[in-house]
Amino acid sequence: MSAFDPITFAVIKSGLDTIVDDMAYAVMRTARSPIVRDVLDYSVTLCDARGRILSQAKTVALHLGAVPDAMDLVLAQFAGNLFPGDVVVLNDPYNGGMHLPDIFMIKPIFSEQTLLGFSVVIAHHCDVGGRVPGSNASDSTEIFQEGLRIAPMKLYERGAVNRTLLQIIASNVRLPDLVLGDIDAQFATCLIGERELRRLFDRYGSDLEVYFDRLLDYGETLTRKAISAWPDGDYHFTDYIDGDGFSAAAIPIQCKITVTGDHLTVDFAGSSPQVKGAINATFSFVKSATYLTIRCALDHDVPNNAGVYRAITVLAPEGSILNPRMPAPVAARALTGYRVVDAVMGGLAQIAPGKVMAAGEGGNTVVAIGGYSGGRPFVLVDMINGAWGGRANKDGIEGITNPSQNMSNLPIESLERQFPLLMEEYGFRPDSGGAGQYRGGLGLVRQYRLLADTAVLQLRADRHEHPPYGLFGGKPAASSRNSICENGAWRQLPAKITLEITAGTVIRHEQAGGGGFGDPTWRDPAAIARDIGNGKVTAQAAQADYGFQGDGA
Amino acid sequence: MQARLSVDIGGTFTDLVLLRDDGVSFSCKVSSTPAEPEEAVITGMRLVLAEAGLEPATLSEVLHGTTVGSNTLLQMAGARCGLLTTMGFRDVLEIGRLRTPGMFDLSWDKPRPLVERRYRLEVRERMNAAGDVLTPIEIDDVLAAGAFFAGEGIESVAICFLHSYKNPAHERAAADAFAAAFPHIAVTASIDVLPEPGEYERSSTTAVNAYVLPALRGYLNRLEQKLRSEGVTAPLLIGNSNGGLSGAAIAQQKPVFFISSGRASGAVGAARLGVATGEENLVVFDMGGTTASAALIHRGVLGRTHEYEFRAGMSVPSRFIKAGGYMMRVPTIDVAEVGNGAGSIAAIDPGGLLTVGPVSAGARPGPVCYGLGGERPTVTDANVVLGLLPPFLAGGSLELDVEAARTAIARELGAPLGLTVEQAALGIRDIANSNMVRAIRAVTVERGLDPRDLKLMAFGGSGPVHACDVAAILGITEVLFPPSPGVFTAMGMLAGTVEHHELRNTHMPIEALQPGQLSSLQAEMEEAAFAALARQGYAPDGITLGYEINLRLQGQDAALPIALVRDPDQAALAVLLPAFIEKYYETYGYRPSDAVEAVSLRLHSQGKSHAALDFLNLRSAESAATGTGPGVRMGCFSGHGWLETTVLRRQDFQGPLAGPLIIESADTTIVIPPGAIASVTATGSILATLEQMP
Repeated sequence: MSAFDPITFAVIKSGLDTIVDDMAYAVMRTARSPIVRDVLDYSVTLCDARGRILSQAKTVALHLGAVPDAMDLVLAQFAGNLFPGDVVVLNDPYNGGMHLPDIFMIKPIFSEQTLLGFSVVIAHHCDVGGRVPGSNASDSTEIFQEGLRIAPMKLYERGAVNRTLLQIIASNVRLPDLVLGDIDAQFATCLIGERELRRLFDRYGSDLEVYFDRLLDYGETLTRKAISAWPDGDYHFTDYIDGDGFSAAAIPIQCKITVTGDHLTVDFAGSSPQVKGAINATFSFVKSATYLTIRCALDHDVPNNAGVYRAITVLAPEGSILNPRMPAPVAARALTGYRVVDAVMGGLAQIAPGKVMAAGEGGNTVVAIGGYSGGRPFVLVDMINGAWGGRANKDGIEGITNPSQNMSNLPIESLERQFPLLMEEYGFRPDSGGAGQYRGGLGLVRQYRLLADTAVLQLRADRHEHPPYGLFGGKPAASSRNSICENGAWRQLPAKITLEITAGTVIRHEQAGGGGFGDPTWRDPAAIARDIGNGKVTAQAAQADYGFQGDGA
Repeated sequence: MQARLSVDIGGTFTDLVLLRDDGVSFSCKVSSTPAEPEEAVITGMRLVLAEAGLEPATLSEVLHGTTVGSNTLLQMAGARCGLLTTMGFRDVLEIGRLRTPGMFDLSWDKPRPLVERRYRLEVRERMNAAGDVLTPIEIDDVLAAGAFFAGEGIESVAICFLHSYKNPAHERAAADAFAAAFPHIAVTASIDVLPEPGEYERSSTTAVNAYVLPALRGYLNRLEQKLRSEGVTAPLLIGNSNGGLSGAAIAQQKPVFFISSGRASGAVGAARLGVATGEENLVVFDMGGTTASAALIHRGVLGRTHEYEFRAGMSVPSRFIKAGGYMMRVPTIDVAEVGNGAGSIAAIDPGGLLTVGPVSAGARPGPVCYGLGGERPTVTDANVVLGLLPPFLAGGSLELDVEAARTAIARELGAPLGLTVEQAALGIRDIANSNMVRAIRAVTVERGLDPRDLKLMAFGGSGPVHACDVAAILGITEVLFPPSPGVFTAMGMLAGTVEHHELRNTHMPIEALQPGQLSSLQAEMEEAAFAALARQGYAPDGITLGYEINLRLQGQDAALPIALVRDPDQAALAVLLPAFIEKYYETYGYRPSDAVEAVSLRLHSQGKSHAALDFLNLRSAESAATGTGPGVRMGCFSGHGWLETTVLRRQDFQGPLAGPLIIESADTTIVIPPGAIASVTATGSILATLEQMP
C-alpha cells in the first residue's frame, strides 16, 4: 500500500459511518410495520471480510454486540460456500440469534470474486408466530412456544430467492404482508450497504483493508487508553428484576467489574440461574449490553467498531439467566438486557462517576395488543420510553430513549390510523423522578382504549418492586404501575401479564422515572420552584423530598 | 430604466446589489445595524441607487435574505409563547421523538422547549384519525387559556390539535375565537404551517413559527414602511430556507419557512453559478462577520433536506439522526455552519488555550482596528496586522487603526502566551481556519466524500481572505472566487425565482387513479398557484408549472415523487408504475412487486422574473475608489514570515500570477498565498491553483 495518509483514514472512517447512516435511513424509508418504520427497532452494521464490525449506525445498540457471535457462526457454517448474490437470514437464539422476532439478515459483499465485507441488518418483526400476537410474551416456558425458529440459511443464493423459506415464514406469522415487507426493507438496505462499500473499494482499492485494520486498532487504542486511566480494582453492583411473571421472587443481576491496567473484565457470577419465564437473555445479548454501557463511560470520539471489544472480557455462568441452556424461553429478554445495563452502570459509577447517570426508567415497557378488527388481524407492539437518571452535574432527562437503544415513539396520529385503539393520554408523570441534587427525569404515562370487540393484551413492564436506583445520596424514582379500567372500574395489574380484553377497556401504564443523583438537600431552590411551576413536581412532594416550603415560580 | 435590488443582512455587514435592466450591476457594503436592521438597508439603498443614477420608484423588486429568524432562535430571543393542544397531550412538544443525535453520550441535553410546560394548556376536543368528531370543542377552554396567557404576558400562541390535518374544524374554530378575543396575541394554527400527520413534528414546526413570528413580523413591517417612505413601490420578496423567494406577507405569517433565509440564498446563488459555468462538484464556502458555512453541490445538485433541527453549534451531517434541536418540517438547503467569522473574538480559555469565536464583536463595537470602541482582538485585527487586508474599511470609507490592533493582540494574547504579535496573529488565523474546516468536513468527509475531488468556491466578505489556507488544510487544490464574492449572497438572490407549492392528498391505489379526477385536481391547484403568484406580481405567462405524484408501496410511510404531466390520459397514467419501480430500484436496489399507492399530488410553480441575473454576462460597474493597488506591501504568511506582496485591483487583474498576491475590490480581498497561482476563468471568476500537498 501507499504510505498511511491521515486524511484518507479520516475519509474512510467517516465514509463507513455515512454508509451505515444511509442504510439506517433506507430501513426507515422502506419498512412497513410501525415497530420498524416508526419506533425504529432495528440496527444496521457493516463488517469486514472477517466479520469484524467496522461501523454501526446510531440504532439499537443492544443488538450490535451480538453481531460478532452471529458472524462467527455464519462464517464457520458457510465457509467456502458464500457467493455474490447470497443473503443469509437467522433468528434462532440458540443458533446465532437473540430472540425470535429479531431476524438477522447478512449479505456478503463482493467486488468481482473478492469478499469485501458484509451488510448486516437486524429488524424486530411485528410477529413471528407462537402463542401470543407479537411473539414477545414474557410468560412462555420454552422456546417452542415463541414462534418460528430459523437456523442460519440462505434466503437468496447467487441472486435467486429461496421461495420455500419465504413460504414457511409467510405461513407461520400472523401478519405475513408486514413481515415479508420488512424483510424486503432489510434486503434493500443490504443492497445499499453493498453498493456503497463497493464504491469505497473502487476509490481506495486494496488499501481499504489496511485502513480497516487501522480503524479497529484505533478503536482498541482509545478504549485501552481510557481504561488505563481508571483505578485498578474490583467494583461490585447488584440490581434486580421484579420477577419472571411466574414467581414474584426478585431476580438478581450481579456484576463484578475488574480493572487491570488497560483491560476490563465484567463477571456476572452470582446472577440468577435461568428462569421459567421468557426473560432469559442469550450470552451474546448480555455482551451487547455490557459493551454499550462501558462505551458510555469512554470518550465520545471512540469509534463504534470491534476494536473496542478487544479490551473487554465478559463472563456469565452457563445455565444462568444471562447464558441460558436450550430450550429456555427468551422472547422478553430485552428486559434482562436493560438490567445488565443498570448493573454495569452502577459498577461504573464507582469508577467514573462523572460519566454515568443514576438508573433510568429500567428499559422500555412493551404493550402488545393484538386480535381481529373487521375480520382483519392487527398486532400493535408499542414501546414506551423513557427517562434518564440524574447526572453528576445536571438533572436527568424526561421523554428520551434508553441509552442502550436509539428508539423513537409511535406517533399517536399514526397509531390511531392503523389500529382499533384510541390514545387517551401521553405525557409526563409528575413526581416520578427520584429526588436528588440533580433529580431524575420523569416517567411517561400512556393510556389506550380498545375499540375492537376483543383483543389479547400482553404487558411487559418491570420496576414495580425495585425502582430505579439513585446515586451518591440521590433517591430512587417512583415505581411503575399498570392499571386497567373495565366497565368503569379501575384495578391494578401485575408488571407482566397476558390477558383477554374487550371493547371499551382502558389500559394505563405509568412508567418509573429516573433515579436522583446527589443529596436532595443540595438542590438549588430555584430549580425546585421551577419544577413546581411547571407541574413536574408537586408542592407536597417538594416539601417531603426537599423540605421545600412555598409555591412554584 | 428599471432595476431589481437585492439585500443580504449579515451579523456585521449589510450587502446590497442593484441589477439594472440593461444588465449592469452595482453593489455596496455597509455596516449592519443589529438593533434595527432596516436602518442599514435604507442607508445602503440610497448609496447604490445614487451610484446607478436611479430613483427609488424605478425599483421593480426588492429581494431580501434575512437572519432575523435564525438569530432569534440562536439567541433564544423569541416571543413568550403559549400552546393549546388536545386534552391529554400537553407534553407531546417536550417529549418529542426521544432519539439522541449521538449515542453513548450521557452528558447530552434536550433543548429547552420553546413553550414551557406551564404555558402548554389543554382543550376539551377530540377528532379520530378519520376526522370524525369524538368530543366537540369547548371554546370556553380556549378563552380561559387566553385570559391566563394575557395575564402572563404571553405574546404568541401555537395551536395544534390531534388529527387537525384531517379535519381542521376545531383548530380553525379555536384560532378564530382566540384571535377575536385576544387580538394582541399572535396565533399560529398548525394546519396553516404544516397540514400533515405527525403530531410532534406539526407541534414543533408550529411552535417555532409562533416563537419567531413577532420578531420577524415586526422587522418586516418596519422595513416595508421605511421602503415605502423612501418612495419604493416595488414588492418586497423574502428568500426562504429552500432558496426560493416569497412575498413578505407570507414571511410574516409563516416565518418558520424563512429561518435559514440568509444562508440558503448564498448556497443557491453558488449552485446557479456552478451550473452556469459547468462546475458539477463544489464545496461552497461562505465566511461573513459572525459565522462561516459550507454547503455541497454534488453532481450538479445542491444538498437539500425536507426537515431539519435547529440548534446552536454544529449541525449534524446525518439524514438519519438530526441535530437534536428544534424540529422544523420545512424544505431547507442543507448547510453546515460554525460560529467563526471575521468579527470572531480571539481569547485565551481557562485551560490556557488560544480560542477564536463563537463570540463576535459584530458591527458594534466591531474589531479593534475599526476604532469604534472594540478592545478585544478579532480575526479581522489579525488579518490587518499581517498586512493581508488593506488598511482601510470596505470601499475606502474608513482608515483602520493598525497600531491599535497590534497593541490589542500583543496585550491580550501575545504577552500572556509569550508570542510575538505576528506569531499571535498567525495563530488566530490558523485557529479560525481549522474551525471553519469543520463546517466543510461536515458536508464532505463526514458524508464519505473526499474533498480533494472537489473545488472550493469562496464568497462572503471574508471567505476569499481565508479560502486558500482552508483549502490547503483539506488538500483541495482549486479555489474559485466568483464575481463580487463579498456580496455574492445578495447577487445570488437576483438569479432566483419566486416559488409556490401546492399539495393535495390522494391516498388511493395507483390503479384507482382517474384522468378526469387528476385533471380537475390539477386545475384547482393551478388556480391556487396562479392566485398566489399574482399577488406577488407574476402574470400566468411568466409562470412555469411542474407536477409530481408521490407514490409508495402500500404500508410504507415515505414516498418517492414521480413526474406527472398536466391532464394525464390513460397512457400517461400507465407509465407511472414502471417509472416508480425504476426509481425504487435506483434508490433501494430491488424491484418490488407489491401494491403501490398514490399518496399525494404536488404542484411546483415558479414565477420567472423578467430580468433575472445572467451569470455568464455580468457587467459590474466598479467604483473608482476601490483598493490601493496596483502596488506592493508587506504581508505575513504562515510558514513564510513577511514577504513583499503584489497588490492589484480586481478589475486590473489579468493573471496568471503566482502568490504571494493580494487582489482587492470594494466588497472583499482575495489572498493568494505563496505557492498558489491565480488566473482568470472564461466566465470571469478567479481561479487559484494550489500545490498538491506532499
